[in-house]
Amino acid sequence: MNKTPLLKRILEIIPGALSWSIIILLILLSFLHPVSSAVIIISFDFYWIIRTVYLTTLLVMAHQRLFQQRNEDWLKQCFSLPSELGFSELYQVIIFPVYNEGLEVLRPSLSALAASHYPLEKFIVVMAFEERNAHARGNAAILEEEFKNKFGVYLSTFHPDGLPGESRTKGANATWAAKAARRFLDSRFIAYEQVVVSCFDADTCVAGEYFGCLSYHFLTSQKRHQSSYQPMPVYNNNIWQAPSFARLVEISSSFCQMIESMRLEKFVTFSSHSMSFKTLVEIDYWPTNMISDDSVIYWKSYLYYNGDYRVIPLYVTVSLDVAYSSNIWRTMVVQYKQKRRWAWGVENFPFVVDGFFKNKSISLFNKLRRSFHLLESHVTWAVWAVILVVVGPLPILFGGAFFSQMAIAYNLPKITGLLFKFTLLTSLTWIFLSWTILPPRPKGISWFKHILLILEWVFVPFIILVIGSVPALDAQTRLMLAKYMEFNPTLKGNKVL
Amino acid sequence: MHGFQKIRSLLFSLSLLLFFIGLPFILSFALGYKFNRNTLKFEKTGIIFIKTQPAGAKIYLNGKLVPEKSPASMQELLPGVYKVVLELAQHYPWKAEVEVGAGKVSRVDKVILFPERPHLVQLNQEKFSSFRIDAEKKIAYYLDQDKKIMYRSNLDAGNFEDIASLPDKFAQVNGWEVSPDKKKFFIFNLHQISVIFFDNQMDYEYPTSPVFLDYPQARIINVFWHSDSYHLVVLTDKYVQVIESRAGAWPINLVELNNRDAVAFYDTKEDRLYFSDVQRSPEGSFYNNLYKLELSTNLYPLERLMIQPFGAANSKPEEEPGE
Repeated sequence: MNKTPLLKRILEIIPGALSWSIIILLILLSFLHPVSSAVIIISFDFYWIIRTVYLTTLLVMAHQRLFQQRNEDWLKQCFSLPSELGFSELYQVIIFPVYNEGLEVLRPSLSALAASHYPLEKFIVVMAFEERNAHARGNAAILEEEFKNKFGVYLSTFHPDGLPGESRTKGANATWAAKAARRFLDSRFIAYEQVVVSCFDADTCVAGEYFGCLSYHFLTSQKRHQSSYQPMPVYNNNIWQAPSFARLVEISSSFCQMIESMRLEKFVTFSSHSMSFKTLVEIDYWPTNMISDDSVIYWKSYLYYNGDYRVIPLYVTVSLDVAYSSNIWRTMVVQYKQKRRWAWGVENFPFVVDGFFKNKSISLFNKLRRSFHLLESHVTWAVWAVILVVVGPLPILFGGAFFSQMAIAYNLPKITGLLFKFTLLTSLTWIFLSWTILPPRPKGISWFKHILLILEWVFVPFIILVIGSVPALDAQTRLMLAKYMEFNPTLKGNKVL
Repeated sequence: MHGFQKIRSLLFSLSLLLFFIGLPFILSFALGYKFNRNTLKFEKTGIIFIKTQPAGAKIYLNGKLVPEKSPASMQELLPGVYKVVLELAQHYPWKAEVEVGAGKVSRVDKVILFPERPHLVQLNQEKFSSFRIDAEKKIAYYLDQDKKIMYRSNLDAGNFEDIASLPDKFAQVNGWEVSPDKKKFFIFNLHQISVIFFDNQMDYEYPTSPVFLDYPQARIINVFWHSDSYHLVVLTDKYVQVIESRAGAWPINLVELNNRDAVAFYDTKEDRLYFSDVQRSPEGSFYNNLYKLELSTNLYPLERLMIQPFGAANSKPEEEPGE
């Protein structure tokens, strides 16, 4: 990291510095000039009301699309496509990078894959283990025995530890696996253009129609190789068993992803996703030294294709595990670390802007727009909850006697109260939508859990405080101080850890 | 997808429009601005916030009835003086002129509306000349100097009873006070103090009741109970003294006074006496000082006297109990 160029270092500092500046400035203003602080807070509150209503509307639209499309017979539609689009020659490379997940996580993922409504002989499944994991070869052998005959090709790869230029990241393992898949494709003379590659988190259980939907969109896309394909992640694998706190956080994460799917100009790959294998090879695979490989792969493609690259939302679900632990405190820690790792996606900002400086083909407007979107989304993530929960009451508390006699001091809590009423309205929508995406209640789970699923939304203000902004602020501060994070995957599993 | 994107673009534009159009209105409302139709200008307004006890009063602002009842806030008031009248049935109205400043909140939030017919309850059932209220125990004590009887009732006019008789030879009562333990009281006049137990409250420390403490050489100004309910702090025209409330007790002179009419306040919780006394300056002029005298048992060896049975302290004051 000592060789980090100055420009990149400056870009690493910008998000954290901006977030901290906003927070510190607002806190100082609350003491020194409470009227200005109150004006900013009211403006932000109003902005937040409009933003919340707008985003909730997008969520409803995305939800509607999900319900329209998730039960379609996509395979049938694929078969009905003109033969020149090449469905019959299309192969699916599916990579599961495994860190240290056990059989209880991997087996359901492969079972779901095997249950896909799709010709399984077209599947080239690569279970990508880490060589350093002592159980890797044993688990690989067990899974190979169970699943090798269910798919067209089943490969196990073992990523060596400590390769030059690599960090211990998921991207390094996935890249190793993709190269193995490439050698296989080469050996069978399969053109990369005919291959779609999906990189799934180890706990990803795909919906039956996923690959039909993916193939259909891939084949019908005007620029199929200049697109990534993003399913809707839901955390249904163990949602009935997970504690309220973790469940709410993950439902909110699903909803955020659904909202993002409606904002195509900002939409970036996240978690499990798919893309053209040809493109993957051309852009030299996933980054092997960055944690946020899932989004960096998009930005690499975007830069490679001079901005002519997009993410196409697939309104079918992939189901993942809710991250939780044996008690509420440990669950909070697990969730906090997971959100901090997601927030570490802020490392995309220096990567992308640095890339923009080097790229002369992307228009200045697009460079500015995408840089702003990236910066704004991360800064907003880091400050919004702090402004609403911490800074909001400060002018009233510390504004002094003179300020308390002013009309704005009287109106500030009233307007803030209005904000929470609006938030309540949108929360009701979120509650209803969360109900509709739940999987069927398993045997042994009381019907009372349905009531609990509604009541638990009262914890939202608490959750906002704990994991709303703080993990993002933490990640940005680390990047700002050059204390780079290492890949630390969220401990998951259907069983309580 | 294009249809959705068009709807989304429309929604985004509408949201943006709403924000930029709505924000000036919200901020101007928050800051107290209002469009004045007469002057065709934006003027900074103020707020009157009214809160009454009890709530629900009608509010008249410059003679006009406001739709809201108290507690309420009247917003967007142009700066100036407003006549505010608050009315609640069967209560006295409240009137005031309230000045509204630009961008300011005038708070009228300490209004108590008193009932027209106060809820009066007579507590005593016999005539009396003076009374004391023990708010903590919710008891009223009544002293009838003519009949020389002490009565007691609770503060709901119940349990009115005769609890003690004053000694016949005690003609004039200048002051009296019930002891902190609520078992007895003292009365005093210019030269004598008497401690009288309430009926059925005698204990071994007081073989006789009443106890008489004579002050033939001094004029008693005021008397206070020490928190131990046994010692009396006596303010005379010559000294501040402390004396046990038993027959034959001798007073201890704690402070010699210059002022023959000193004024004092006794803090029973802390056992502190605050009193004023006159001093003479080197130039010959007189001035008052206020003094604090600590009388807690930590500072004076009173506790030893307290725990000894009556008579023991009198005969062997220096001995520890059990010696």
